Amino acid sequence: MSLELLLIIAFSGAFLTYLSGKISSQLRDGVAVLISLGLVAIVSFLYNVQTETVFYQGFFGISLILRMNSLAWFFAIAIVSFTALCIIYSLSYMKDCERSNYYYFMMLLINASMLTIVLAGDLVTFFVAWEIMSWSTFLLISYNRNGALQAGIKYIVLSLIGSMCMLVGILSIYTSFGTVNIADVANHLTPSSVGYKLFLLIIFSITFGIKNAIMPLHTWLPDAYAESPSPFSAVLSGMLTRMGVFGFLLIMYVIVGMKTTLHLGRGFLSFNTILCWLGAITIVIPTFIAMLQNDAKKLLAWHGIGQGGYMIVGIAFGTSLGAAGGIFHTLNHATYIVLLFLSVGAIEYSTNGLRDLNSLGGLFKKMPIAFFGGLLGISGLIGVPLTNGFVSKWLIYKTLILGNAPFLAFAALLGTWGTVLSVYKFLHNLFLGQLPEEHKEIKKAPLTMQIPIVILSFTIILFGILPGLPLKVINSIIVAAGFQALDINIWGVTSETGTLNMLNIFAAIAVFGAIFWGIFKVARKSTPVDQYDNYAAGAAVPKNKYHYTVEYYAPFYRMGKPFLKDIFDMFYNRIAEAIGSICDSVRKIYTGYVGSYVMYIVLFIASLIFVQLTWSIF
Amino acid sequence: MVNPILLIVVPLGLAFALPIVNLISKKIIKYIPVLAFLFNLILSLLLIPKVLEQTIIVKIGGFHPPFGINLFVGPVGILFSTLIALAGFLVSIYALSYIKEGPKEKYHILYLLLLTGATGVVLTGDMFNLFVFFEILCISSYALVAYLGNKAGIESSIKYLIQGSVGSSLLLLGIGLLYGQLGTLNMADIANQINSISSPSIFVPMIFIITGLGIEAAIFPLNAWLPDAHSSAPSSISAILSGIAIEVGLYAVIRVIFTIFNASSFLMFFVFLGVLTLLIGEMSAFSQKNIKRMLAYSSIGQIGLIMFAISLNTQLGISAGFFQMISHTLGKGLLFLSVGFLIYKTGSMKISSFEGIGKKMPITSLLFTIGAFSIVGLPPFAGFASKFMIIKAALTTGQLLFTVLIGVILLGTVIEGAYFFKVIQSIYFKGTTDIIKRDEAPLIALISMSIFVLLIIFIGVYPDFIARILNSAASEFINRIDYIRSVLG
Repeated sequence: MSLELLLIIAFSGAFLTYLSGKISSQLRDGVAVLISLGLVAIVSFLYNVQTETVFYQGFFGISLILRMNSLAWFFAIAIVSFTALCIIYSLSYMKDCERSNYYYFMMLLINASMLTIVLAGDLVTFFVAWEIMSWSTFLLISYNRNGALQAGIKYIVLSLIGSMCMLVGILSIYTSFGTVNIADVANHLTPSSVGYKLFLLIIFSITFGIKNAIMPLHTWLPDAYAESPSPFSAVLSGMLTRMGVFGFLLIMYVIVGMKTTLHLGRGFLSFNTILCWLGAITIVIPTFIAMLQNDAKKLLAWHGIGQGGYMIVGIAFGTSLGAAGGIFHTLNHATYIVLLFLSVGAIEYSTNGLRDLNSLGGLFKKMPIAFFGGLLGISGLIGVPLTNGFVSKWLIYKTLILGNAPFLAFAALLGTWGTVLSVYKFLHNLFLGQLPEEHKEIKKAPLTMQIPIVILSFTIILFGILPGLPLKVINSIIVAAGFQALDINIWGVTSETGTLNMLNIFAAIAVFGAIFWGIFKVARKSTPVDQYDNYAAGAAVPKNKYHYTVEYYAPFYRMGKPFLKDIFDMFYNRIAEAIGSICDSVRKIYTGYVGSYVMYIVLFIASLIFVQLTWSIF
Repeated sequence: MVNPILLIVVPLGLAFALPIVNLISKKIIKYIPVLAFLFNLILSLLLIPKVLEQTIIVKIGGFHPPFGINLFVGPVGILFSTLIALAGFLVSIYALSYIKEGPKEKYHILYLLLLTGATGVVLTGDMFNLFVFFEILCISSYALVAYLGNKAGIESSIKYLIQGSVGSSLLLLGIGLLYGQLGTLNMADIANQINSISSPSIFVPMIFIITGLGIEAAIFPLNAWLPDAHSSAPSSISAILSGIAIEVGLYAVIRVIFTIFNASSFLMFFVFLGVLTLLIGEMSAFSQKNIKRMLAYSSIGQIGLIMFAISLNTQLGISAGFFQMISHTLGKGLLFLSVGFLIYKTGSMKISSFEGIGKKMPITSLLFTIGAFSIVGLPPFAGFASKFMIIKAALTTGQLLFTVLIGVILLGTVIEGAYFFKVIQSIYFKGTTDIIKRDEAPLIALISMSIFVLLIIFIGVYPDFIARILNSAASEFINRIDYIRSVLG
């Protein structure tokens, strides 16, 4: 199966879905699912294929190339799988929404453009796909109207700034070396000066940093995640944002090359150390800001930023273990964040769009599947053993400890600590505690929404117990980037400095679990009580008078609120306002009075004469 | 061989024949511009391969240059005449359903004259002839701006007229001064003799001519007439004024600088002026509430970008500038045309009145969106390819200054993106969520706009299609000696 055909199917599938929606919505749903599952099948057949094709030469004579290798495959399979799950989920979630044809069209278009990004073998294809992804994302973020509009503008402006940086970078490469083929560029770049390499790294880092929401470039993300339709929030957080990680891998370890990237600068002031520290800041601050959120999706969004920090720390640290951890964490994060967004989406669906943590609660019995999804999701997010998040976080911690970076390791730990607190709030306020009276009778989440949740929950456990499956592919990625190969087996990683074997952990947990189960079995029976049998301070809680998920962590909230502000967001808003008012005053040049306009003509002549008299250029 | 002079004669003749036809039947007059520009388009397309082989010099009346008037049909001329004919043809199809009120026959006469003037400016090889065609272009546009007859239209037409007349006087003064010193009006002959006289006495006519032409070219600060004029004209005329008229003005400016005065040392000044024009245009557009004014300011920005590219004075830079002109004609033309019907259906030019129009007029809104994407420079549309080429040209020079200026220009692009995306949001994501009955633009207008879209996508995906003509056009400007030699023999 050639790569062109894959992309043709992906892009034309998007159009086909839109057109079939004009005929009937059932047909459209069928086509959308078929296309997305078909892409999963095709991409999985391409496993272990190494190929490269020039598919077009009509763009200024530049050879546009598609390339498949382990890095591309790893991201491609993740993109198509997560999108397919989200499409299946959307079938019922988006059922009665307006413009659903448009929604599916954009989802599949974004899917196709992300696929093109990872398959691109040259920078122009990469850029074009990147831009298509950016504007189609903008169109889908704005979908929910109202608050979404502001989020959309914020996203597209930052995204445009990023792409303009990248465009300059790409064209500077093109004019310097006459080629945009990634492999050739890497070869040409080896002898060029350190300054130029640093310039490229920085300019591309701005682009990818914006996409991956590294502090201080993260401000578009919370609003965008919160305001999008939930299945799209899932794609956005799971894969689209992580195109930034892909970009970092590409620029640092494919284009500039590992050996150079890791030796740019001296001591603390080197490129990758600074990036590591930005990553560490990105881990800590957003995780604590997440704790203050009362909107379930915003809480997840802030975690999305924080988890991105782990990936960056792992990748930028630049050891085999770190890079593997960073890449693996990208996949793992996608699994559980998609799961969490889908679970929140299920609640939104059942409660008519509620996602306020202060007014929900006790949904555990009503929505068991969503609850287990949420539970496994937050376990992955925290990194509880036997979930996939544990393995990648273990790899990253190990890297930091072995690499003598105690402060970074501390930041990573601090992040986990904050995560535990805030996701407990998430789980508790949604599923545990009191069930508000009005949610006694709620819509049941349909099967098409439950299937993706179940599949993702299963994946979390699967990759948690058998991390060797994905690590095998990741190993070949890091080997291709020039790192030392890791010793991978199906249960984990072996190395002389420490071995991770999930089999042992699994066995240990199983044994302890059995013992505890036995103890509880023997001990005195507990009495199950009704969900409404609640007491506070020894007195029965009056119904609908007191809801104790409200203002969870209130003391912390009071303490942290003054410090945990998104100062960058405020700063950028200030800049935007300033630019707006400057623009407004510039407009006043055009006074509307002809006399002054004629004056301008005279001034123009005067300035020409002035230029001539001063520099006598003519 | 077909004579390129037909490119001017046919529309001009039809313009004068139109009142007579009007006496016979009032219904068929609106098809005359369509026919005229279809003819011009076919003729230009047929001429392209010949012109690319060898420049055609048309000697009117058989007088050899420098005596008599000659047409210089080089790659630049044919590129522009194709572009003018294409835009003229598509916009006249659009006007079939758009122009319903007012003195229709006058509209069609003026429309023909406007584009005849534009074609004449780009094809002529004579300085005074240039002035004449320029006046035809300007005077018909003054009248067309006031076509709707409302207060805003007449006011801005008068403002335009005042500034335009100042420009024309300066232009005439400049030409007169040159004629007095050199005794010739033939452009090639002037170019040939320009070094024989002292530089101060050329400098005065040069700044007069540049300023005079610069007013129509919308160079900052000579462009104050533009936002008023472009926003109060009927949308079909706005499309032509933005897409053709100012570009023809810019053509005249650079022709004068490059070929006649050989003043490429002056171009550094124009690089800065271009960036300034771009920034002022984009920044003024940013806070506009009126959609047509916003588009007009955006045209100023685009002109600045074109000026910047051409003033780089390299082969690549000039081709990139021409490419940007093509993508601007297509993109801005499409924007004005689609906005024409959006305004017609909502009855207001306010951006806020477009809320929810995406449901009422889905196709027109989609066409607007594509035009906006192309102007902002997003792939896979034409605007991206041209912007790509401009940045490449600037970075190829290898000078730090140009790299910095590219940064400033891209900042302008971000501002441009911000205001266009806001409009797109109002069209699609604001207003009522109820199902509204569709009320689409007429089919004939949709077809005309769809051709714009097809061209935008085609050129955006396959820019090599026009690479050759752009390249020869750039060579024509760079190789001044060839121009002189091919005319004077």
